[in-house]
Amino acid sequence: MSIWEPQKIQIGGRMVRPYTMTRGRSGVAMPLVALEALVAATPLGLRMRHRFKWESAEIIKLSRRETAVIELAAILEVPVGVVRVLVVDLRGRGAVTITDPPAALAGAAEGQIELLQKVLDGIKSL
Amino acid sequence: MTPVKIVVAGGFGVGKTTFVGAISEIEPLRSEAIITDASDGIDDLFEDGTKTTTTVAMDFGRISLKHQLVLYLFGTPGQDRFHFMWNELARGAIGAVVLVDTRRVEDCFAAIDFFERRETPFVVAVNTFHGRKLHGIEEVRTALQIGPEVPILYCDARVRVDVQKVLVAVVEHAIDRVKSEAGVG
Repeated sequence: MSIWEPQKIQIGGRMVRPYTMTRGRSGVAMPLVALEALVAATPLGLRMRHRFKWESAEIIKLSRRETAVIELAAILEVPVGVVRVLVVDLRGRGAVTITDPPAALAGAAEGQIELLQKVLDGIKSL
Repeated sequence: MTPVKIVVAGGFGVGKTTFVGAISEIEPLRSEAIITDASDGIDDLFEDGTKTTTTVAMDFGRISLKHQLVLYLFGTPGQDRFHFMWNELARGAIGAVVLVDTRRVEDCFAAIDFFERRETPFVVAVNTFHGRKLHGIEEVRTALQIGPEVPILYCDARVRVDVQKVLVAVVEHAIDRVKSEAGVG
């Protein structure tokens, strides 16, 4: 996992090593959360938001509306790898839910076609 | 909501971000990943040695669809040396768009190779942004050395309906692919 490894980044005027936010964890040992996985704050998460550190609290706030991992990274200007670790932590504490891309895309043909037809219909109706 | 994604690839400066921006409901956002890179040239990327870091920027957009779906469009980093990142972007994608500038057709060869090898369904969109339709579709097909099954379309990457048409073609092509592999109608 060399590709998401920053040396230092600036957050809200502070210069920090990004992985201090994750207490040094890179997420390598975890199953990879997709870039487009959707993060949604839970009522519990919103209630205990102030107990988290800045980055996690911001993730909860932004996820009041379902927001993809990649969007969180872009908005917070934090590397994707850091967001991945933080959202998995938050999920573990019941503060957010994470909706992965549909398993149907890797499944049986019927399921794939059904999902793709919905996407097609959705794009055509834009 | 259920997230799905389509990858938009092509050479540097071909109009990927313009394409995403033409249909995205948000201004295309840029997410940066800082990668470990070889300091002395692209061919040494996977060799051990002195490393420096390079920032890779990925542009992406979002489109909310009905049926509780949200479609993300990911623009691939344009430079050749970042192709190894495409795996991450292509994983789980419905399909891909290869944007082509007919003045620099060869710039998209790497993208076509990648999606063919990965068996990701893709369509070729010839961006007419820089001028008129200078090449016939079949001329483009020959230049790109792609089979008759790959859809090729003209599109102006600035125009929403053109982009919509290309995305429709990607999903239809993906459906055809699943059907032909499963041996269904």
